[in-house]
Amino acid sequence: MKPRAYLTAFGLQWKIGLRYRIAVVAGLVAQMWFGAISLMAYAAVYHHAPDVGAPLTLRQAMTYTWLQQSLFTLLPLGCLPAVGDAARTGAIIYDLLRPVDLWNWWLSASLARLLGNAVPRAVLLACVAGPLAALAGLGAWSLAPPASPGAALLAAASFALGALLSATIVMLWNVMTARTLSPLGSYAIGTPLAVLLSGMLLPLPLYPEWARIVLVLQPFAGITDIPIRLYLGASLPGGPLGALGVQIFWLVAMTLGGRLWMRRIIDRLEVQGA
Amino acid sequence: MRIASPAIEVENLRKIYRVREGGSWRGRTREIVALDGISFAVPRGQIAGFIGPNGAGKSTAIKILSGILRPSSGLVRVGDLIPWENRIAHVARIGVVFGQRTQLWWDLSVGEGLALLRDIYGVEPDRFARNRARLADALDLHAIMDQSVRQLSLGQRMRAEIAAALIHDPEVLILDEPTIGLDAPSKLAVRAFVRDLRREQGTTVLLTTHDMHDIEALAERVIVIGHGRILADSPFEALRATTLSERRLEVDFIGTPPVFDLPPGAKETERDGRSVTITFDPRQIPAPALVAHLGALAGLDDLRIGRPAIEEIITRFYADHAS
Ligand SMILES: Nc1ncnc2c1ncn2[C@@H]1O[C@H](COP(=O)(O)OP(=O)(O)O)[C@@H](O)[C@H]1O
Ligand SMILES: [Mg+2]
Repeated sequence: MKPRAYLTAFGLQWKIGLRYRIAVVAGLVAQMWFGAISLMAYAAVYHHAPDVGAPLTLRQAMTYTWLQQSLFTLLPLGCLPAVGDAARTGAIIYDLLRPVDLWNWWLSASLARLLGNAVPRAVLLACVAGPLAALAGLGAWSLAPPASPGAALLAAASFALGALLSATIVMLWNVMTARTLSPLGSYAIGTPLAVLLSGMLLPLPLYPEWARIVLVLQPFAGITDIPIRLYLGASLPGGPLGALGVQIFWLVAMTLGGRLWMRRIIDRLEVQGA
Repeated sequence: MRIASPAIEVENLRKIYRVREGGSWRGRTREIVALDGISFAVPRGQIAGFIGPNGAGKSTAIKILSGILRPSSGLVRVGDLIPWENRIAHVARIGVVFGQRTQLWWDLSVGEGLALLRDIYGVEPDRFARNRARLADALDLHAIMDQSVRQLSLGQRMRAEIAAALIHDPEVLILDEPTIGLDAPSKLAVRAFVRDLRREQGTTVLLTTHDMHDIEALAERVIVIGHGRILADSPFEALRATTLSERRLEVDFIGTPPVFDLPPGAKETERDGRSVTITFDPRQIPAPALVAHLGALAGLDDLRIGRPAIEEIITRFYADHAS
């Protein structure tokens, strides 16, 4: 109806995300640290068991780790902070007073928030772990470029879907927050789920073989794992198009289900006081 | 041609909240009847005031009229829309201020917040510029336009909130306790603004308050609400003529007060040690005459004159309705 309003919501959260420059630097240092530790662990494992039959080469595992670390803030760890605050203070009733589609309104804001956090970090970390590391003579440990131009293209589309998928999962946390009038539950559930199931803790391709197919079919795989595997040109069950299909499936399913759920919650929302 | 239907129509509106008692499971649910069948209509261009004590159901009514709460039963039309069924179209035509909440963004300046609302409501640039200038003049916002909302005093913030509710020229303005917590000058400013708004823009205004002075300064129409029911619905002058004219006199005597008769229009309501409370109707017995009457009976130490609290008026309404 009024795309301008949604752009505005996006712009506001994008600005807020960029405002925390110190957090960007601090996060970056932490992510470099975790990245480096993981790399050493992988190097040790691959060195002692060169033929574990892992679906990623050591070089690919390193690039996977750098990309994963650089995209940590793209994960749906909990609700949008603005929604959490509004629910806690009761100002959430003003969100219902706006002539906008509440789902798209919060979705735009959530997407902007994720991108505003993730993009600056990803660019910085990619520069440090990629060309800079290579120049410093750490080429063997660095972030490698995409496997091929085709892989780059697929990965770009998949990263875009991944960001949207993550924002859609954040929407589920937002609705949950509106339901309980507190953001805490969304963090308690969202953070462990996202960290574990996105492959942030251990890349999904490195799980035991029997678990791999299930892990790639669940929604959190679509956020960073699938795009990164396409970037690496690594094998995916169902091929690259099947992987994009998994992302699109979850996007559609969660949007439809989430919208229904939100309507129910909003109809019953009773903010006390004032 | 436009049919002059009322701006707001409410018919037999009920809202029952169900709350769980004890733990979140196993607890029994208790029903709170917040609105127990209220009906009224507000014509276009009127300022109507809802008055009643805390917990009377004012905010519940406001939330239903704003489209953010579904009633348990009953009918509401604002313009020709049912608020909770046409939420988006409805909220585009109203402006709402909840006195205890903020709709502006803490991290932004007042001006940035207004610009954001322009985009949300799709206000054309010309109209936005005009409205912003008009509201900034009327609400004295020029000095705080560039300040972040976080830094504003309560009075400044409330003026900014009212501007935020009006930037899109709503047909109906709904104010829930707009003067709560404000200092005297800010209260006066808010009241003066709402009065002018009605006069100059013809906006329909529905406000709630538990401050009698708000009603006195603003409303042509008073709806008294208590325990979810409408206890009185009358032009302000009529209410003033009956209940509001009443005054209370508290007298401290020197020594134990004597037992006395009072002139017509005055009546003793309380006696506690050296002080006696008398309610009286100044049209029947003016305060000086009453004081003179008492002074002739015994030595007076101190006097206080006031109005009955809103809670008392409500209690009285109940008594009147019961009989
Ligand atoms: N969300 C809610 N859940 C349960 N009870 C509520 C809720 N909101 C209000 N109430 C109750 O409904 C009654 C009316 O409240 P309210 O409409 O806020 O009154 P007022 O604004 O006149 O003070 C009160 O008894 C209040 O405790
Ligand atoms: Mg209230």
